[in-house]
Order: sequence, then structure tokens, then C-alpha cells
Amino acid sequence: MNNLGLMTMWLGLVAICISSICYGTLCFKKESIATRSAARLSFIAFAALMTIASILLMHFILNHDFRYSYIAEYSSRDLPLEYLISSFWAGQEGSFLLWVLIGSWLGILLMFKARVMEPHVMLIYNLNNIFLAILLIKQSPFRMLSFFPPDGQGLNMLLQDPWMVIHPPVVFLGYAAFAVPFAYAFAALWRREYDGWVKPAMPWTIFAFVSLGAGIIIGGYWSYKVLGWGGYWGWDPVENASLLPWLAGIALMHGMILQQMRRKLRKTNFVLAAFSFILVIYCTFLTRSGVLSDFSVHSFVDLGITGWLVLFMFVFVAISLGLFIVRAKEIPVSEKGNHMSYFSREFGFIAVVVILCLSTVIIGLGTSAPLITRVLEKASKVSTEFYVDTNLPLGILMLFLLGFVPLMAWGKNSFSGLVPKLTWTLIGAIASGVVTLVNGYPGMGVLLLSLFAGAAVGMNLFLAQRLIRKRITISSAAVAHLGVGLMFLGIVSSSAYDRSEKVLLAQGDLQSAMGYEMKFQGPTFSREGKGVRLHLPLEVKKESSQFVARPDIFSERGRDGQIKRFTHPYIQRGLISDLYISPVDFDPGESKGDHGSHLHLKKGQKVGFHDYEFTFIGFDVSGMMGRKAAQAMKVGADITVSYKGAEPVSLKPMMIPGKEDDPSIRVRLPGPEDAFLTLIGIDAGAKTVTFIYQGREPAAKKQEKPPALIAEVSIKPGMTVLWLGVFLILVGGVIGIVRRLPKRTIS
Amino acid sequence: MKKSYIIGAVVIALALVMAMYSFKSTLTSYVRVSEARVSKRPVQVAGIVVKGSKRYDLKSNSLIFTLREDGGDEMVVQYDGPRPANFDDVTKVVATGKYEPKEETFTAKELLVKCPTKYERRVQGE
Repeated sequence: MNNLGLMTMWLGLVAICISSICYGTLCFKKESIATRSAARLSFIAFAALMTIASILLMHFILNHDFRYSYIAEYSSRDLPLEYLISSFWAGQEGSFLLWVLIGSWLGILLMFKARVMEPHVMLIYNLNNIFLAILLIKQSPFRMLSFFPPDGQGLNMLLQDPWMVIHPPVVFLGYAAFAVPFAYAFAALWRREYDGWVKPAMPWTIFAFVSLGAGIIIGGYWSYKVLGWGGYWGWDPVENASLLPWLAGIALMHGMILQQMRRKLRKTNFVLAAFSFILVIYCTFLTRSGVLSDFSVHSFVDLGITGWLVLFMFVFVAISLGLFIVRAKEIPVSEKGNHMSYFSREFGFIAVVVILCLSTVIIGLGTSAPLITRVLEKASKVSTEFYVDTNLPLGILMLFLLGFVPLMAWGKNSFSGLVPKLTWTLIGAIASGVVTLVNGYPGMGVLLLSLFAGAAVGMNLFLAQRLIRKRITISSAAVAHLGVGLMFLGIVSSSAYDRSEKVLLAQGDLQSAMGYEMKFQGPTFSREGKGVRLHLPLEVKKESSQFVARPDIFSERGRDGQIKRFTHPYIQRGLISDLYISPVDFDPGESKGDHGSHLHLKKGQKVGFHDYEFTFIGFDVSGMMGRKAAQAMKVGADITVSYKGAEPVSLKPMMIPGKEDDPSIRVRLPGPEDAFLTLIGIDAGAKTVTFIYQGREPAAKKQEKPPALIAEVSIKPGMTVLWLGVFLILVGGVIGIVRRLPKRTIS
Repeated sequence: MKKSYIIGAVVIALALVMAMYSFKSTLTSYVRVSEARVSKRPVQVAGIVVKGSKRYDLKSNSLIFTLREDGGDEMVVQYDGPRPANFDDVTKVVATGKYEPKEETFTAKELLVKCPTKYERRVQGE
């Protein structure tokens, strides 16, 4: 085999199998130091081999080795470094490699932290890695072409954004981390340690929650900032695929906290750990196998791994179900289980676990609709209303609980004891309700959602500031819950109170849209990579504030010859609302005037043009002397011009490829002030040159139609609150990890 | 505890029944243009945007284009939702909505542009 990358993957598979066999021996036989060392060493070898494979792939990408079909498909020579790096995970194969790589590194950490549970935890954890390694060999990023393409296809324009560079690694960090609580849970089930696993697995669960959450949020933020449709969440299968394990993971997190604090939900937590992990695989199956290809914005092609993914899923369902059934009878039921009060913190936890699981099941059902209906009749999908309608009541219920449960103590609470503490809950609800109603009645469901979101914000803000003053680490839940409240306030305001209007903005005309005065300054072009960016600056004024909005449209000719256009919105952020200007369409207008008309000249011929007379004398190649690189090559033309029969003037306009739009290379014509000539084309064979003339047109020309921009102008209230909210959710998670890390003194 | 189990079960069952109802009512199936013309329920139709047919109607604030499916059958689609990012001529789109026989137009509520992301292209010559 002369494919170094593929060979590394095979060796990695062998290493992880050896490691698993050794751990398996340790699980069934007595402890042996030699076997344990072998197991550990071979796992480290696996991680090292995956690292080498990744370095190899990165090396090939950076060196433009387009013999590898993966590299030819997703990168190209003109990509800047950051996008070359991100083309590593632009496709399925590379992102699987990234997943395995992260999984192997997390595995090393896990190996040294798992202590007595190590053999069982690592055996289960390895099973996941074995499957991923097999998928990776089946669908290798190191597949080679039989020829060496001169250049690659390049990275999709939409993915050329800094947020999209980090989005996939963060998501895969979350995906890989969800295997850890699963491994802990089922190792514990195996070893009959029904409580002991929760404490060491807790930081991993929160870590998985934080990283997958961050990935989802980055994706939403990118969608809002780049795609220009004005939204951040579209209930697309790909988005749901990351949301489902995340919601199940939040349920698991709450279940684990309840078990750790009150020894409850022992059985439920095993189910939840399996649920969240198997959802990761199920969602990978949904999005990578091509089953939803007609139903998603993202096109997926089955690369021949569907069978493996299904097998993968069945194995894990069988293992978890089997182990659970065998042990279910033994798992002790909570001692205090029989007299749990409905009016207690415990009940709030159980309720939120149920709500989150319901939401997960419902969203999962909606996302799988094409699969379910395919069996029955015609493949169909559900519209986004399904997700909104079903999750609205669940959201209301959840926020309702968030407004008072965090104030309650474990065990029985008295109603009369709680009421005096609800000042902040009420203040929050009233404030939010008033603001909502002042802006228009949004319907009962949304009103309730905003009332309870306000209540949750009020109460958790109060709680968070109190706890932070005591000790910052105990504020994790309050901070995260404050974030949840803010996020829902942001969702309500940005979706129910989003107002937009489409306007036609002809160059120079003053128009008003959404209370702003707008004036389109006219288009300018710039060349970027293989495409052209059309800048569409707008002067925007409202009362005393004034700024220039710069939306743009990027066009690029794809490999298939089609011109692809990408519109980029301009967002003027504000504390209360964002102004979102998205170009819809651009009409270059019809003008023979200022924006240039073409002029062709043939060598030796005199040509009359407006009030000028041009003669093309010959080519000027002096700019080419001593230049090696084609980049800076200058070619010029020698011409003479006479204005209204005056003495001819000699001009030497230059052409620099790639800089045709640069005003600095144009030459001024004799006569009127603002008349210019730009050399844009040379045909040495036919001995002709082409210019663009910019200047006054002789009078009595036909009517001009100025360039015009159609833009969608929207006011999106609450976006800043939304981003602040999701950020606080993650901050709360990070504080939670710090709080639950094993204390150094003990270890 | 028994009582709470019952309450829990009722709540969950209610939520699921509601979800199933919503599921059925928002289900839109994938059909051909000829089927879309006679369907009374919202449906989905896939096809390409016929080159040059795309225009913006500022009066109705909507995007109007002709959609052509695989077999060559065509229909006019009107869409007034948020503009998809990389919508252009000859991109593959999936329109979800209902056909209005009076106007001979398909009014789309959702428009899905198959974005050329991540997991799509294959290099020719493999």
C-alpha cells in the first residue's frame, strides 16, 4: 500500500482493537499490570496514529496535493490559510477524521481519570471509536484520483467565514464528549455501581453540553450574519441533528444532578445516557446517509456508509437495552421515593427532565418524518409550524418552572414560605408583560412565553447576583437559567415583532424604509479570488444618527459554469433591536453615461468617439520587462487622442490583470475635467484593444436608468438579548464544570 | 407516587396526542407538478429555476419564478418569505405550498435552496 494516510488509519484500527481486547480481558479476568499497560499503550498508539493521519491530511491540504480527491473537492490554490485549514473538515470524510481525532484525545484524558472503572469505561468507549475508525476507512479522506488535477474545486463561499472555521470542530467536540457519560453509565451498570458513576461523569456531561451548545449557537449566529434570510434557526434536519442530542443531554444533566444530590432517577439516568449518545449516532445517520436528501437545505449524498451507521446504532441500542434489562431489577429505587412532595425542588427537576425528553421526542419525530412516512406511503416532511406549535407549550411550562423552582429547597416546601420570595419573579413577569403588550398583543401562547421568560429572568438575575457574591462557582445554574430566560425573550421579540419591508433604492434617490432614510450611493466592484464582489453602500439616517450600511453581493463562476451569487446582509446592531439590510436584487440600470461605454480600437485606425478622435499606435510592453511572475504583469497601449480637433495628445494607459476596476490605473483624457479611459482588454493576435470610457455623454442621448438595489430592510428586536442569553447559558455551563471538577487535594 | 405517575402519564400522553395531530396536519408530501396542480393540501415540489424567469414583484413584495421539474413540466411559483441566501437561476429548489388554480400560480410558504454545502459534490473522473 503506498497510501500513507490510509495505512495510518488501518494501523489505528488495529491499535484500538488491541486496546479493546486488553480492556475486555481486564473486565472479565483479574487485574494484571501488564495487560493494563498494553491496553493503555495501544490506546495511546491509536490516538497518536489518528493525530499522524490528521497531520498528514493537513500537510497534503497545505501543499495542494490534489491527487487526493477529498482535497481536490474542498480546497483550491487561492484559499487563504484559515480556509485551507477549515477545508480539512469541509466534507464528510474529513469531519469524521476530526471526530475520531477529538475522540481519541478525550479518550486519553478519560483513561487516566476513570480509575477503578477504567477497563469497563474504556471498553465501551472504544467500541464507539472502533466504529468511527471503520467508517473512516470505508469513507477515507485519503482516497486518491488516478490523475493530478491542476487545481481543486475550492471551498464553498458560504463556508468562507471565520465562524464556519470553528463551528465543525466545536460540534464534534460535543459529539465526541457525549460518548463519555454513556461509557460511564454502562460501565457502572455492568459493575453494579449504580451511584458511583455520576460524580466522575458529571463534568463530562456538562462539557458535552457546553461544547455542543456552543457549536449550535455558532451555527445560528453564522446563519444570521452570513445567509441573509434574517433568521438564526430554520428547523432544518441538519440543525435538528445537533439540537436533539443536546436537549437529551440537558435532560441527562438534570437527572444526574438529582441523582447526585438526592439519590433519585437512577434508572432514568441510564436511559437518558443511552438516549443522548444513541441520538448522536442516529442524527449522524439522518444527516450523513442521504435518507433526507430531498428534505434538507444541505444536500447529502450516500457515500456507502448507511449500512454501517445502521449497524452501529443497532449494536449500541442492543448493548444498552440488554445491560439495562439484565440489571433493571437490581437497581435500588430511591429510599425517599415514596414520599416525594409535588411542591419541591425534586419535582421541578423531574418535570424539566420530562419536558426536555418530550421536546426531544417530538423534534425527533418531526425530523424523521420523511423516514416514517416513507414506510407508510409517500415520503413527506413536516413544516416548521410543527416544531413551533408543539414546542411552544413545552417552552411555556419550562419557563414557568424556572420562575420559582430554583428558589425552592430540597424536600417539602411550604407555599406560604415561597410566596414572599417571589418579588423578583413578579417584577420580571410584569415588566416583560407590559413591554410585550405595549408592542402589540402577540397571541396567548407567545404572551405567556414572554411573561414566564420575564419571570425567569427576574428571579434568576436576583439569584445569580446573590450567589456570585457568595461564591462564583455556586452560581452556575442561576447564570445558565438567566441565559435561558433571556434567550426566550430574544426568541419571542425577534420572531413575533420582526418587521420588514422591501424597498427599491435607485442610485441617489432618498427613500424611507422602516423609519430610516436611505440613499443608495451606487455600486462599486472589487475582485476577490475567483469572483467579484458588488458593494452596495447605503447612506442610512435616522434622527441624529447616521452611518453607511454596506451589504454586498458576491458572484463566482462555479466549476459547472454557472454563476453563483451570495448575498451578504449588513447588520447595524443595537441594544434593543438590529437593523438588518439584506440585498434582494440588483439592477445595473441602463446608462451609456458615467458608467462607461466600451471603445474598440484597431491598430493604425483612426476612430471618432463623441468629441474625441483616437488612434491606436501600438502595444507598450515596457511594463513586462524584468518581470517573472504573471501577477504584477503590466501591459499597455500607445494611443493618441485629440479633443474637438485639437492637437493630438499621446497617452499610455496600462492594464494590470486583476486590477481593472481600480480607478488608479485609468488615464485622464484631454478636454473636459471628468473624462477617463481604462484599458480592459488586449488582443495581440487581432491587434485590437478595448477601453471603457467614463465621462460626459454628448447631449440628446437616450434616457438613463440609474442602477437600483432592491433591499429587504428589517427591524429585529431582541437579537442582542438573544445572543447574550445563549452566551450566559454557556458561561453557566463552564462555571458548572469548574465547580464539579475533582478536587486536586483528593487526587 | 402512584398519583404522580398517573398525572405524568396523562400529561405526556396529551402532549404526544397533540404532537401527532400537529404532525399529521403539517405533513406535506413530495409530489410532481401535475399532482400539485390538483392537490388541495400543501405539498412540496422540487425542480430548477428556469433561467431568466426570476423576478421580484415589488407590488406583492414577492419573488416570482418558473419552476421546471425533471420531466420538463413547469409552473409559476410565487414566494414572499425571506430570501434564500444563494438563490439564483438554475439552482435546484424545493417549494412548499399550495397551487392556486385561479391565478395559475403555486404560492410557496417555504423555499428550500439546495445549498452546495459540505456533503455534496463528487469529483468527476473517479
